[in-house]
Amino acid sequence: MRPFRRRGDELVARLVDAEASIVGLLVDQLEQLLAADPDDSGGDPVVERLLPPGHASDPEIAADYRDLTEAALRSGKADDLAIVRATLPPDGGEVRLDDDQARAWLRTTNDLRLALGTRLGVTADTEPPEDPTEEEGSQLAVYYWLTAVQGSLVDALVAGGGGRR
Amino acid sequence: MAGPLAPERTPDTTPGEDFDLDRPWVTVVWDDPVNLMTYVTFVLQELFGYDEQTATELMLQVHHEGKAIVSSGPRERMEHDTSRLHAYGLWASYQRDS
Repeated sequence: MRPFRRRGDELVARLVDAEASIVGLLVDQLEQLLAADPDDSGGDPVVERLLPPGHASDPEIAADYRDLTEAALRSGKADDLAIVRATLPPDGGEVRLDDDQARAWLRTTNDLRLALGTRLGVTADTEPPEDPTEEEGSQLAVYYWLTAVQGSLVDALVAGGGGRR
Repeated sequence: MAGPLAPERTPDTTPGEDFDLDRPWVTVVWDDPVNLMTYVTFVLQELFGYDEQTATELMLQVHHEGKAIVSSGPRERMEHDTSRLHAYGLWASYQRDS
Protein backbone atom coordinates (compact mmCIF):
# COMPACT_ATOMS: atom_id res chain seq x y z
CA MET A 1 0.00 0.00 0.00
CA ARG A 2 1.11 3.52 -0.76
CA PRO A 3 -0.77 5.62 1.81
CA PHE A 4 -3.18 8.42 0.94
CA ARG A 5 -1.67 11.74 -0.11
CA ARG A 6 -3.36 14.83 -1.44
CA ARG A 7 -2.74 15.40 -5.13
CA GLY A 8 -4.50 18.56 -6.28
CA ASP A 9 -8.21 18.12 -5.63
CA GLU A 10 -7.85 14.40 -5.08
CA LEU A 11 -6.74 12.04 -2.34
CA VAL A 12 -4.72 9.23 -3.86
CA ALA A 13 -3.45 5.92 -2.55
CA ARG A 14 -2.26 2.75 -4.22
CA LEU A 15 -3.37 -0.73 -3.19
CA VAL A 16 -1.88 -4.00 -4.33
CA ASP A 17 -4.14 -6.75 -5.63
CA ALA A 18 -4.44 -8.65 -2.34
CA GLU A 19 -5.22 -5.46 -0.39
CA ALA A 20 -7.99 -4.47 -2.78
CA SER A 21 -9.44 -7.99 -2.51
CA ILE A 22 -9.48 -7.80 1.28
CA VAL A 23 -11.24 -4.43 1.27
CA GLY A 24 -13.79 -5.77 -1.21
CA LEU A 25 -14.41 -8.83 0.93
CA LEU A 26 -14.79 -6.82 4.14
CA VAL A 27 -17.14 -4.37 2.41
CA ASP A 28 -19.32 -7.31 1.29
CA GLN A 29 -19.38 -8.74 4.80
CA LEU A 30 -20.25 -5.42 6.42
CA GLU A 31 -22.99 -4.85 3.87
CA GLN A 32 -24.53 -8.25 4.63
CA LEU A 33 -24.35 -7.62 8.34
CA LEU A 34 -26.06 -4.24 8.03
CA ALA A 35 -28.67 -5.54 5.60
CA ALA A 36 -29.64 -8.43 7.90
CA ASP A 37 -33.01 -8.28 9.61
CA PRO A 38 -32.47 -6.40 12.90
CA ASP A 39 -34.45 -9.19 14.60
CA ASP A 40 -31.78 -11.66 13.48
CA SER A 41 -28.71 -9.49 14.09
CA GLY A 42 -30.00 -8.01 17.35
CA GLY A 43 -27.57 -8.63 20.18
CA ASP A 44 -24.62 -9.03 17.79
CA PRO A 45 -21.91 -6.97 19.50
CA VAL A 46 -20.66 -5.64 16.16
CA VAL A 47 -24.11 -4.34 15.18
CA GLU A 48 -24.47 -2.95 18.70
CA ARG A 49 -21.22 -1.05 18.27
CA LEU A 50 -22.05 0.25 14.78
CA LEU A 51 -25.55 1.32 15.83
CA PRO A 52 -25.12 2.10 19.53
CA PRO A 53 -27.86 3.13 21.96
CA GLY A 54 -28.56 6.86 22.03
CA HIS A 55 -28.91 6.93 25.80
CA ALA A 56 -26.48 5.19 28.10
CA SER A 57 -28.93 4.15 30.82
CA ASP A 58 -32.55 4.88 29.88
CA PRO A 59 -33.92 2.08 27.64
CA GLU A 60 -37.03 4.11 26.76
CA ILE A 61 -35.03 7.04 25.41
CA ALA A 62 -32.68 4.61 23.66
CA ALA A 63 -35.65 2.90 21.94
CA ASP A 64 -37.07 6.28 20.98
CA TYR A 65 -33.71 7.25 19.48
CA ARG A 66 -33.47 3.98 17.56
CA ASP A 67 -36.93 4.52 16.03
CA LEU A 68 -35.94 8.00 14.91
CA THR A 69 -32.45 7.38 13.56
CA GLU A 70 -31.66 3.73 12.82
CA ALA A 71 -33.06 3.58 9.29
CA ALA A 72 -31.14 6.70 8.22
CA LEU A 73 -27.92 5.47 9.84
CA ARG A 74 -28.21 2.11 8.10
CA SER A 75 -28.87 3.68 4.70
CA GLY A 76 -26.00 6.17 5.19
CA LYS A 77 -23.63 3.30 5.89
CA ALA A 78 -24.95 1.42 2.82
CA ASP A 79 -24.33 4.54 0.68
CA ASP A 80 -20.77 4.78 2.01
CA LEU A 81 -20.13 1.11 1.23
CA ALA A 82 -21.40 1.62 -2.32
CA ILE A 83 -18.99 4.57 -2.77
CA VAL A 84 -16.04 2.53 -1.47
CA ARG A 85 -16.91 -0.33 -3.80
CA ALA A 86 -17.26 2.02 -6.79
CA THR A 87 -13.88 3.67 -6.13
CA LEU A 88 -11.97 0.48 -5.28
CA PRO A 89 -9.81 -0.86 -8.14
CA PRO A 90 -10.82 -4.56 -8.06
CA ASP A 91 -7.38 -5.87 -9.01
CA GLY A 92 -5.41 -3.23 -7.14
CA GLY A 93 -4.09 0.08 -8.40
CA GLU A 94 -4.76 3.72 -7.61
CA VAL A 95 -7.63 4.79 -5.40
CA ARG A 96 -8.55 8.37 -6.32
CA LEU A 97 -11.10 10.17 -4.19
CA ASP A 98 -12.73 13.58 -4.10
CA ASP A 99 -13.46 15.06 -0.66
CA ASP A 100 -16.93 13.50 -0.35
CA GLN A 101 -15.70 10.08 -1.42
CA ALA A 102 -12.84 10.45 1.06
CA ARG A 103 -15.37 10.92 3.86
CA ALA A 104 -17.19 7.77 2.78
CA TRP A 105 -13.85 5.91 2.94
CA LEU A 106 -13.12 7.40 6.37
CA ARG A 107 -16.47 6.27 7.79
CA THR A 108 -16.26 2.84 6.17
CA THR A 109 -12.67 2.10 7.20
CA ASN A 110 -13.66 3.21 10.70
CA ASP A 111 -16.71 0.91 10.70
CA LEU A 112 -14.54 -1.98 9.47
CA ARG A 113 -12.02 -1.30 12.26
CA LEU A 114 -14.86 -1.11 14.80
CA ALA A 115 -16.26 -4.40 13.51
CA LEU A 116 -12.90 -6.20 13.53
CA GLY A 117 -11.87 -4.56 16.81
CA THR A 118 -15.11 -5.72 18.46
CA ARG A 119 -14.77 -9.29 17.10
CA LEU A 120 -11.12 -9.49 18.16
CA GLY A 121 -11.63 -7.80 21.53
CA VAL A 122 -9.18 -4.98 20.78
CA THR A 123 -8.35 -2.84 23.82
CA ALA A 124 -6.10 0.18 24.38
CA ASP A 125 -3.31 -2.29 25.22
CA THR A 126 -3.62 -4.41 22.07
CA GLU A 127 -0.45 -4.58 19.99
CA PRO A 128 0.22 -5.69 16.42
CA PRO A 129 0.36 -9.49 16.04
CA GLU A 130 3.62 -11.35 16.47
CA ASP A 131 2.56 -13.99 13.95
CA PRO A 132 0.41 -12.48 11.19
CA THR A 133 0.13 -15.87 9.44
CA GLU A 134 -1.87 -17.49 12.23
CA GLU A 135 -5.68 -17.00 12.01
CA GLU A 136 -6.26 -14.41 14.73
CA GLY A 137 -2.91 -12.80 13.97
CA SER A 138 -3.90 -12.32 10.34
CA GLN A 139 -7.19 -10.65 11.29
CA LEU A 140 -5.34 -8.36 13.66
CA ALA A 141 -2.86 -7.60 10.87
CA VAL A 142 -5.81 -6.54 8.67
CA TYR A 143 -7.06 -4.35 11.52
CA TYR A 144 -3.69 -2.59 11.75
CA TRP A 145 -3.48 -2.29 7.99
CA LEU A 146 -6.90 -0.56 7.97
CA THR A 147 -5.62 1.70 10.77
CA ALA A 148 -2.74 2.79 8.53
CA VAL A 149 -5.10 3.40 5.57
CA GLN A 150 -7.54 5.43 7.65
CA GLY A 151 -4.79 7.30 9.47
CA SER A 152 -3.16 8.38 6.22
CA LEU A 153 -6.52 9.53 4.86
CA VAL A 154 -7.26 11.67 7.96
CA ASP A 155 -3.77 13.18 7.78
CA ALA A 156 -4.11 13.91 4.06
CA LEU A 157 -7.51 15.58 4.56
CA VAL A 158 -6.27 17.68 7.48
CA ALA A 159 -3.06 18.67 5.67
CA GLY A 160 -5.08 19.83 2.68
CA GLY A 161 -7.39 21.95 4.82
CA GLY A 162 -10.15 19.49 4.05
CA GLY A 163 -11.90 20.09 7.37
CA ARG A 164 -15.03 21.87 6.15
CA ARG A 165 -17.15 24.19 8.18
CA MET B 1 -34.81 14.49 14.36
CA ALA B 2 -36.81 17.66 14.68
CA GLY B 3 -39.02 18.40 11.73
CA PRO B 4 -42.63 18.45 10.65
CA LEU B 5 -42.81 14.65 10.86
CA ALA B 6 -41.06 14.32 14.21
CA PRO B 7 -43.25 12.73 16.86
CA GLU B 8 -44.86 15.18 19.23
CA ARG B 9 -43.17 15.10 22.58
CA THR B 10 -44.60 15.42 26.00
CA PRO B 11 -42.33 16.94 28.63
CA ASP B 12 -39.84 14.41 29.88
CA THR B 13 -40.91 13.05 33.22
CA THR B 14 -38.68 10.00 33.38
CA PRO B 15 -38.71 8.75 36.98
CA GLY B 16 -35.56 9.61 38.83
CA GLU B 17 -34.74 12.54 36.61
CA ASP B 18 -35.42 15.96 37.96
CA PHE B 19 -38.12 17.70 36.00
CA ASP B 20 -36.42 20.88 34.95
CA LEU B 21 -37.17 22.39 31.57
CA ASP B 22 -34.30 24.83 31.92
CA ARG B 23 -31.71 22.13 32.30
CA PRO B 24 -30.38 21.44 28.81
CA TRP B 25 -29.54 18.16 27.21
CA VAL B 26 -25.98 17.31 26.31
CA THR B 27 -24.24 15.06 23.81
CA VAL B 28 -21.41 13.01 25.28
CA VAL B 29 -18.58 11.27 23.41
CA TRP B 30 -17.14 8.27 25.26
CA ASP B 31 -13.64 6.82 25.06
CA ASP B 32 -13.20 3.92 22.68
CA PRO B 33 -10.11 1.76 22.10
CA VAL B 34 -10.52 1.72 18.30
CA ASN B 35 -11.14 5.28 17.14
CA LEU B 36 -7.94 7.13 16.20
CA MET B 37 -7.20 10.33 18.08
CA THR B 38 -6.62 12.22 14.82
CA TYR B 39 -9.93 10.90 13.48
CA VAL B 40 -11.91 11.96 16.57
CA THR B 41 -10.40 15.46 16.34
CA PHE B 42 -11.23 15.63 12.63
CA VAL B 43 -14.85 14.54 13.21
CA LEU B 44 -15.40 17.08 15.99
CA GLN B 45 -14.13 19.85 13.71
CA GLU B 46 -16.16 18.58 10.79
CA LEU B 47 -19.48 18.18 12.60
CA PHE B 48 -19.41 21.03 15.10
CA GLY B 49 -17.12 23.55 13.42
CA TYR B 50 -14.70 23.60 16.36
CA ASP B 51 -11.27 25.04 15.67
CA GLU B 52 -8.40 22.59 15.81
CA GLN B 53 -7.36 23.53 19.36
CA THR B 54 -10.87 23.15 20.82
CA ALA B 55 -11.44 19.87 18.99
CA THR B 56 -8.06 18.56 20.18
CA GLU B 57 -8.81 19.52 23.80
CA LEU B 58 -12.17 17.72 23.66
CA MET B 59 -10.55 14.65 22.10
CA LEU B 60 -7.90 14.59 24.84
CA GLN B 61 -10.61 14.91 27.49
CA VAL B 62 -12.36 11.88 25.99
CA HIS B 63 -9.07 10.01 25.94
CA HIS B 64 -7.92 10.85 29.48
CA GLU B 65 -11.20 11.23 31.39
CA GLY B 66 -13.27 8.68 29.48
CA LYS B 67 -15.82 11.15 28.13
CA ALA B 68 -16.47 14.74 27.11
CA ILE B 69 -19.53 16.87 26.45
CA VAL B 70 -19.32 18.01 22.84
CA SER B 71 -22.61 19.90 22.48
CA SER B 72 -25.61 21.03 24.51
CA GLY B 73 -29.10 22.27 23.76
CA PRO B 74 -32.65 21.02 23.21
CA ARG B 75 -33.24 17.27 23.25
CA GLU B 76 -34.10 17.06 19.54
CA ARG B 77 -30.84 18.72 18.59
CA MET B 78 -28.85 16.38 20.84
CA GLU B 79 -30.56 13.40 19.20
CA HIS B 80 -29.46 14.80 15.86
CA ASP B 81 -25.88 15.45 17.04
CA THR B 82 -25.68 11.92 18.47
CA SER B 83 -26.84 10.40 15.19
CA ARG B 84 -24.28 12.45 13.23
CA LEU B 85 -21.54 11.16 15.55
CA HIS B 86 -22.86 7.60 15.16
CA ALA B 87 -22.69 8.01 11.38
CA TYR B 88 -18.93 8.58 11.88
CA GLY B 89 -18.64 5.66 14.28
CA LEU B 90 -17.93 7.66 17.42
CA TRP B 91 -19.33 6.23 20.63
CA ALA B 92 -21.81 8.93 21.64
CA SER B 93 -25.04 9.35 23.58
CA TYR B 94 -27.24 12.18 24.85
CA GLN B 95 -28.66 12.84 28.27
CA ARG B 96 -29.93 15.57 30.53
CA ASP B 97 -27.11 17.73 31.81
CA SER B 98 -26.19 16.66 35.31
